[in-house]
Amino acid sequence: MIEVKNLVKDYYGNVAVDGLSFTVEEGEIVGFLGPNGAGKSTTMNIITGYLSATEGQVIVNGYDVFEDPEKAKKSIGYLPEQPPLYPDMKVREYLMFVADLKKVKKRERASMIKSIMELTKITDVSEKLIKFLSKGYKQRVGLAAAIVGYPEILILDEPTVGLDPKQIIEIRELIKSLSKKHTILLSSHIMQEIDAVCDKIIIINKGKLIAYDTPANIARVMENSRELHITVCGSEMTVRRALDYVDGIKKLDVRYSDATGMSDITIKMNEGCDVRKNVSEKLMDAKCPIIEMKLHEVSIEEIFLKLTNSNNKEDK
Amino acid sequence: MGAIYKKELKSYFTSMIGCVFIAIMLVIISLYFFVVNLLNQVADFSTALNAITFVIVLLIPIITMRIVAEENRQKTDQLLLTSPVSVTKIVLGKYLALLTMYGIVMLILCTYPLIMSRYGAAELAKSYSSILGFFLMGGAYISIGLFISSLTESQVIAAVVSFIVMIFTYLMASLAQLLPSDNISTWIMMGGLVVIIALIAHVMLRNFIITGSIFVIGEAAFAIIYFVKPSLYDGLIVNILSWFSVVSRFGTFSLGIMDISALVYYVSVIFVFVFLTIMKIKKKRWS
Repeated sequence: MIEVKNLVKDYYGNVAVDGLSFTVEEGEIVGFLGPNGAGKSTTMNIITGYLSATEGQVIVNGYDVFEDPEKAKKSIGYLPEQPPLYPDMKVREYLMFVADLKKVKKRERASMIKSIMELTKITDVSEKLIKFLSKGYKQRVGLAAAIVGYPEILILDEPTVGLDPKQIIEIRELIKSLSKKHTILLSSHIMQEIDAVCDKIIIINKGKLIAYDTPANIARVMENSRELHITVCGSEMTVRRALDYVDGIKKLDVRYSDATGMSDITIKMNEGCDVRKNVSEKLMDAKCPIIEMKLHEVSIEEIFLKLTNSNNKEDK
Repeated sequence: MGAIYKKELKSYFTSMIGCVFIAIMLVIISLYFFVVNLLNQVADFSTALNAITFVIVLLIPIITMRIVAEENRQKTDQLLLTSPVSVTKIVLGKYLALLTMYGIVMLILCTYPLIMSRYGAAELAKSYSSILGFFLMGGAYISIGLFISSLTESQVIAAVVSFIVMIFTYLMASLAQLLPSDNISTWIMMGGLVVIIALIAHVMLRNFIITGSIFVIGEAAFAIIYFVKPSLYDGLIVNILSWFSVVSRFGTFSLGIMDISALVYYVSVIFVFVFLTIMKIKKKRWS
């Protein structure tokens, strides 16, 4: 469990984290989302004890990071933005060093590292020098180092940055499988990633907490969250007449294009209503064949942009 | 501490730096040993060691330059500082690894007096005490190199700065003799020192009241000393500067004297610079 209370980090007048408070419960995967320079890495560096805070308190697994750092650090596995690798070490040698550093018992080390290498799929490069590895493998070695010692909490700073799509999916799967045993806080500025993996999302901008909820709840919070896009053959008048008395439509928007003889319809629905069946029946009755119909759920991406933008405006 | 100690020691031998350091050191010392002790038949190893104190100044930066700077550059300090090991243990592990590297050379040197004793009556006590002195002097220089390495991310800068600082302490004894030692110039120089200290304090604290009072109190104190008891200024600058001369303390060891003050001097230099390194790394968290 991670408890962050009223965290402030002030770099000589440049406030990177501004009164941030949140709690990550045991067994959760929480995504830490924010534009570049929002204070994600700084917050993570403070939680892991790499940086100090100007104000506030961080409690990891019941230990205060500032007052009891060694015990708190023992329960954290950290993958920083740039994996902290020694280029002149071999992969297995590096992981053995990390295990020694994290005070893993000597007789458990070899077997633990073997299973971690299998988990992160780096067994086949275990005797290679780290400097000869590709970016994807380096990232995985960094992740393996974070898992060494099986700490209760994993903090991963942009774990998939710089990877190819296949590797991204692999790492995501890996993170999901890790979440059974670990509490995970991971940061990203890629929304789909957080959406795909996390139970909860923390959105921060300019060091301030903007939202902290489940992805679905954040989407629900947004007004007019669901839209229906339909393309039909038929003039604006016929379409409007057909759809005028359908229940559950909050807002109807029709644009007719002369060139194609088709109308683009955008429907905003009332909450909890699905009007697709009704709408298509009415349109069929009015002899307007439907070319295309799709339900558009507002993505986390749009919410994120909207939230961070409105936040910017308030500042001004 | 053990993990870092082992890792550092291992890295010296996998990256060749360690072997090169030991090899060059042994080649130079052996050459002097051969010429001074074997060819010219001086039965005292300290004569050879005394002539090659410069080797330390040249070679210690080779092993100390990367010790912390490289961690800073590779960002591996993030791994070390977020692991459940205290900064003190990290720095001590690194320092002991460096000392071990240097100690290996010293151990090999311990066989040299035995070689001499095959050919006649070698002055073993004098030779071994000078090896001990050489070891302590190296230990002090290593701690200085360690501290300088922690100040930067660049190995090259660490090496060059260490080299300059070490050359400076090496030449300090002779430089100090060149400075005037009369009372009035000592007063002026001490006054200048106060100005420098006040300026440094001002850059760090940005507080006019504190730096102003440092300046006024300092200047007043030195003025009072000058008028009340000018004899305190006799040779003060020379004494202060030669305090920084790490090499000159080695002289007493090479005479075969186990000088407690020199021992304390080296140990306190080591303590101060290891402590400063720990503070420097801890301070990074606050910036």
